[in-house]
Amino acid sequence: MSDPSSINGGTAVAMVGKDCIAIASDLRLGNQSLGLANNFEKVFQFGDKTFMALTGLASDVITLKETFRLKNNLYNLREEREIEPQTLANLVSSTLYEKRFGPYFIGPIVAGLDSKTSKPFICGFDLIGCIDFAKDFIVSGTATDQLYGMCESLYEPNLEPEDLFETISQALLNAVDRDALSGWGAVVYIVTKDKVVKRTLRTRQD
Amino acid sequence: MPGLSFDNYQRNHFLTTRGYGQPTATSTGTTIVGCKFKGGVVIAADTRATAGPIVADKNCEKLHRLAPKIWCAGAGTAADTEMVTQLIASNLELHSLHQNSQPRVITALTMLKQHLFKYQGHLGAYLIVAGVDPTGAHLLSVQAHGSTDIGQYQSLGSGSLAAMAVLESHWVPDMSKEDAMKLCADAIESGIWNDLGSGSNVDLCVMEVGKDAELYRNHLTPNVRSEKARSYKFARGTTAVLRESIRDILDVEETVITFGSASVDAMEVDA
Amino acid sequence: MNGISVDINHLKKGEVNLGTSIMAVKFKDGVILGADSRTTTGSYIANRVTDKLTQIHDTIYCCRSGSAADTQAVADMVKYYLQMYASQLPFDEKPQTKIAANIFQEICYNNKDNLTAGIICAGYDKVNKGTVYSIPIGGSIHQQEYAIAGSGSTFVYGWCNENFKPEMEREECVDFIKTALAEAIKWDGSSGGVIRMVVLTEAGVERLVYYPEDYQK
Repeated sequence: MSDPSSINGGTAVAMVGKDCIAIASDLRLGNQSLGLANNFEKVFQFGDKTFMALTGLASDVITLKETFRLKNNLYNLREEREIEPQTLANLVSSTLYEKRFGPYFIGPIVAGLDSKTSKPFICGFDLIGCIDFAKDFIVSGTATDQLYGMCESLYEPNLEPEDLFETISQALLNAVDRDALSGWGAVVYIVTKDKVVKRTLRTRQD
Repeated sequence: MPGLSFDNYQRNHFLTTRGYGQPTATSTGTTIVGCKFKGGVVIAADTRATAGPIVADKNCEKLHRLAPKIWCAGAGTAADTEMVTQLIASNLELHSLHQNSQPRVITALTMLKQHLFKYQGHLGAYLIVAGVDPTGAHLLSVQAHGSTDIGQYQSLGSGSLAAMAVLESHWVPDMSKEDAMKLCADAIESGIWNDLGSGSNVDLCVMEVGKDAELYRNHLTPNVRSEKARSYKFARGTTAVLRESIRDILDVEETVITFGSASVDAMEVDA
Repeated sequence: MNGISVDINHLKKGEVNLGTSIMAVKFKDGVILGADSRTTTGSYIANRVTDKLTQIHDTIYCCRSGSAADTQAVADMVKYYLQMYASQLPFDEKPQTKIAANIFQEICYNNKDNLTAGIICAGYDKVNKGTVYSIPIGGSIHQQEYAIAGSGSTFVYGWCNENFKPEMEREECVDFIKTALAEAIKWDGSSGGVIRMVVLTEAGVERLVYYPEDYQK
């Protein structure tokens, strides 16, 4: 617990379903064991169907959120189109590796649907930009260990959006209940071809 | 590498002095091997990536393409092996375009060793470089500090001892392609079973003189997850929702209507 | 580090080490270089058939000891500089061994804070015939009749001193090196494998390999 990425706490997870993805995070922002805020969302939108979650040191989460907002806006202006999840993943990777010898203390997740093919895409990163391509789920944050356990047991492939919502929600909720640094509310985004649903979950408040 | 930024270095160093440790980067606590055979070379790797004691990726790719017929297997810090490999692949392509000839394995190796030496071991990349070029088939290895080795067979990574045990006991000179593939796969499997840092599947790449390189992704899958005995699907409505917002995404269709020839005639003002 | 008590035995963590037995000896027709073939990372033998005898020019070679990465990098630099130098020489003239040795010395001295490299540079040239230069850690240079270096060399200082003869015959010199290295390998845990030799004479380069069963008595 004495490493910079677990000072503020926070957790995120993404999953692939049938022609859809879900990405979720808790809402806690803390200073060690002291809770500071219960509205600190860690999932950010880049285009209609491209999302990124950022966990870790809160100052770096905000810095990188703004950095990527800038880079994304420049991309939109230059390319006159929205960024694909794949492209964003490579952008994240190279941005993080640029700081190889003085890294940001974060663990990003990128999730989304390809704008043309609507193929689901998720991936995770370590703090220096190594991409972890996964076909099923990606976890990140202070409840990583708990989430691996939950996801390995609850996840199954080809879930419909509504079933995927239940699975990712229960995985996140039960994981953060066993992490003192995460919790205090949660948000889930379910992304399908023609709509994005954002749900705020009812959770424990301790 | 041009463009590396040390902006956060002082801050992170300050954090270190205040007793905050460094988070663990993903490492490919790995088994990688390579072996020459008559008329070619084969390299192989396991597919486990770890972050400390956690398995971060159960089926990652450790075989990287430097050029169409030059491949390398990477062990060490995952981000470093990936990035150093991408950089050298780019420079190698530019070099071969400039020279107007096929890239050579020794060129790739020299670029790698000079780059890694410059970083004095801070880039944790341990690579087995193999390939075919106009001068034949080659098998070489580079370590993080920039030293290189040549050999008929090589192994690197945390599982290199287990793999080397297999290579040392079963390697013979002038093997056939099939025998070399089997030997490499066996050596990786030895790492998968006996080394904690290695696991999951065997990836393999064969490079033969005069032929295209062949990548066998998941050549062996000795650790397939068994089907779950029962489903853990939750009934819809299990999770209590406080708020919901829906954003519909509409596809805008654009249809261009072209008018008939009559209207075209009407346009001609000076007819 | 204060410049006076310099820690010369630092090896970066996990660095590949040439815990070595190497030597080069002048003889009647030229010079012979010899080396074991073991490279280690800690207690693991990373390579048991290493070639520590590196060609710098046609008949100029070096024996490397210390960090594998450092010595390879330095040897590559010297090789490059010597190619540049040789290209400026009149046709049919080749660089002298002392040129190579002095480039080694220059690089090793200028970068002594960052290098762990103990090098023996030896070669044959028409002007000086066989010559041997030792460039130990720190970047000094010493011309010698014969030179020994590496961790295994400590065990054979006395024996070499007692048994070296100037102007030996080729076979006698090969035996001298073989016996010395066999003994060094026997007592030094970081040395081992095969004994490699390079014979540099008027006639050119000849490589020799002796397997454990050949040199172990």
